[in-house]
Amino acid sequence: MTNDVIKEAVAKQQSGDRKLAADNSILGKVMTFNIGEQVYGIEIQYITEIIGVSHITKVPHVPNYIKGIINVRSKVVPIIDIRTRFGKPEIPYTNHTCIITLDFNDIAVGIIVDSVADVEDIHTGDISAAPENKNVNTNDFIQYMIRGEGDNTKLILDVAKLLDEQEA
Amino acid sequence: MAKIEPGMEAMLDMYFFETNGLLEQLDEILLRTEQANAFEDDDIKEIFRIMHTIKGSSAMMGFDNLSVLAHKAEDMFFVIRENPNVITDVSFVYDLVFQVSDSYKAQIEAIQNNIGGEYEQMNFDELIDKLIKARDKLNSEASGEPAETSATAGASSSGPAPAGGNDKVSVRVFFEEGCQMENLRAFLLINTIREECSFLEFFPEDVETNAESSKEIVDHGFLITFSTNDDRDYILKQIETALNVQSYEIVSGEDAKPAAAEAAAPKAEIPPEPVKELKVEKPAPAPAPKAPEKPKPTDQSIEKAQAAVANANAQQAAAGGAQKQSLISVNLAKLDALHDIVGEIITTESMVISNPDLEGLELESFNKAARDLKKLTGELQDTVMSIRMVPLAGVFQKMNRIVRDMRKKLNKDVEFVMEGEDTEVDKSIVDSLQDPIMHLVRNCMDHGIEDDVQDRISAGKPEKGTLRLTAQNASGEVVITISDDGAGIDPEKIMAKAKRMNFLTKPESDYSEKEIQNLILLPGFSTNEQVTEFSGRGVGMDVVKANVEKCNGTIIVDSKKGVGTNFIIKIPLTLAIIDGMEITVGDLVFTVPISTIHESFKVEPEQILRDTSGNEMIMIRGVCYPILRMHEKFGIETEITDLQDGILLLVEANNKSVCIFADKLIGEQQVVVKPFPKYLSRYNIKGEGLSGCTIMGDGSISLIIDTNTLIG
Repeated sequence: MTNDVIKEAVAKQQSGDRKLAADNSILGKVMTFNIGEQVYGIEIQYITEIIGVSHITKVPHVPNYIKGIINVRSKVVPIIDIRTRFGKPEIPYTNHTCIITLDFNDIAVGIIVDSVADVEDIHTGDISAAPENKNVNTNDFIQYMIRGEGDNTKLILDVAKLLDEQEA
Repeated sequence: MAKIEPGMEAMLDMYFFETNGLLEQLDEILLRTEQANAFEDDDIKEIFRIMHTIKGSSAMMGFDNLSVLAHKAEDMFFVIRENPNVITDVSFVYDLVFQVSDSYKAQIEAIQNNIGGEYEQMNFDELIDKLIKARDKLNSEASGEPAETSATAGASSSGPAPAGGNDKVSVRVFFEEGCQMENLRAFLLINTIREECSFLEFFPEDVETNAESSKEIVDHGFLITFSTNDDRDYILKQIETALNVQSYEIVSGEDAKPAAAEAAAPKAEIPPEPVKELKVEKPAPAPAPKAPEKPKPTDQSIEKAQAAVANANAQQAAAGGAQKQSLISVNLAKLDALHDIVGEIITTESMVISNPDLEGLELESFNKAARDLKKLTGELQDTVMSIRMVPLAGVFQKMNRIVRDMRKKLNKDVEFVMEGEDTEVDKSIVDSLQDPIMHLVRNCMDHGIEDDVQDRISAGKPEKGTLRLTAQNASGEVVITISDDGAGIDPEKIMAKAKRMNFLTKPESDYSEKEIQNLILLPGFSTNEQVTEFSGRGVGMDVVKANVEKCNGTIIVDSKKGVGTNFIIKIPLTLAIIDGMEITVGDLVFTVPISTIHESFKVEPEQILRDTSGNEMIMIRGVCYPILRMHEKFGIETEITDLQDGILLLVEANNKSVCIFADKLIGEQQVVVKPFPKYLSRYNIKGEGLSGCTIMGDGSISLIIDTNTLIG
């Protein structure tokens, strides 16, 4: 989803026009997954598949959050550990640990997540813009948020930034 | 700026392929005949045909400037063809045609680079003007009349045949078989020529409204009777080049109808298609020797027209017979896909055959079947490889052309010798080799061969320089050498320059002559003080080196001052599949290309030497080699850190050797090289001793060692 769409959705909610504010159309779908207690999401158009963690071949001379490469049906795919990328402590892989493979502009990567949760619709009325506080480390990767019931807010990742972020 | 017409994009590839092929053919003919300094009849016809085809397809694609250019060149050759003796000064014709060919290539490249976008439409007016002048000049020489036509160039006759007159001419037009809607095509044709005609009649008359008439046209042709005030030939040409017109014949008005059946008869023999178009040429004037005499106004009789048809048929049959269509052109992407699939099959095959589930089982018939399968997949792989192999001749031919141009421009007398141009290499290699070879050839011409003939004579060399381009297969590699017998490289000059530019990495006295010569391959190194049109900007040699290395090749400079220079390029035959030795380090598997391994051995602690900074070395047969611990180099955890527990492999690259230390040898395997994923290309993996990865029999991934960068 482009940033314009998000802005428009947010603007609609805040607009005085009741009709617009009540618009709750579906903008797309996200796949949600857990990292620790937090629920994250990625829009499904970027997702190619979900696989279990198999043997990952390490590659030298790369940052520590790149765990290596795996063979997904004869395609060699690099694997990013989201935990390490977001600066969280590593935990051992369990039965729930998954690799979600993404395809963005022909760049294929897999990301390791603690567990996959759900696929759900994105409603215009639930979208919130990400805070523009650049001091908080992980905000860089969050494109927008989806408010759920109670405290259940999902952070939707910006795939472009996740993949293109040049290591400083 | 112009844009490609929508709907034409799909045809573009075909157009580029065809036109480039024709241009290459043209160059080849020109180069071949230039040495003989005369055109053969067949060559002229061939050039004419090439120009005509290019004109037609360019017009179809909507590239008007290209079409007009080809048209004018065609006109010029029309005169030459009709009067082969007319050319007194061949070289100016050559220069013109080469210019045409170059302009074409430039424009096509421009279009190719901007597919889907706007491209710059080049202006060929000047060249076209030259062509018109040349044609008129030839024309006037041919007809013995003073040249005055240039003033009325636009409307002037395209051949020696006299212009128009008010005679009525009947033409029977046949459309290409199966092109459909003949009646509408006929109607379009009429519309095209209507303006030029003072009188116009056609049969069937109801082409615009009656679809039934197309049958009549298919069966008996479309009969047009016209007369014109100015140029009859111009109209005939219009008819000839109109879309889907296969042939036309001229019939005299009265006997038009009975003639139709007769004239159509020979047409039936036309074999379907190998040559793009068949055109019935206007009856040729009297045979060559009498050519300069002005031909009489031709009496367009049926007889002659028929003769022409038969003639054209014979020509076509000859062309068709000589080159049976046993070739097809295939999109390279499809071949690449095929190639990839074969690679996968080979991996999957070993996945099946050495499947861990089978371990310890007695499987006699399975093993036999597996052996058969292996043999077949091996053959499959060889065949796919051979499909991708193309001869280097194309690249070599281009060099021929470059040498020719530079010979003229630099005024150096150089003989160009090519050997082994039929050597075949992978298509992708040919593509990436063209630039490096071109650059080296230019360098040899520009800097290699002495500027002053006196220098050569006083050095005891023949006046005529020699530039040699050779290719040969040698033990799984293609060796391409570009050598000249020129001044050679002066090591002192190189050294001085290298010093000035701070290129030296060790004391001056440590450099061997060979090392000094290879300094010229460094980026930014150009010894030529003067930058010329052809070379000397210093962005060349390092690009050459990079290009060669891109296909896993090496380049060596071997030069002797005063004797000449050799550039030797070695390229492995295929890129994608290598014989590898699998080794483990910790839980990682590496593949070392077998071609770089000299030997592998166990080592005893007492064989190890240490230098002052504690680096380990080993003495083998009197030569001391450094030891490179893989687990340290790549930061891998492993339990085997004592040299005597693991294994050493002596590998060599670029004349440098090193012993690499690994945990264990697994065995030999053919592997398909895969590049690292795109995402990782931002990290410098390739520069640190790894060239790619490969998927092994059990589906796990092994990293392929690049001995070059590992050692370097």
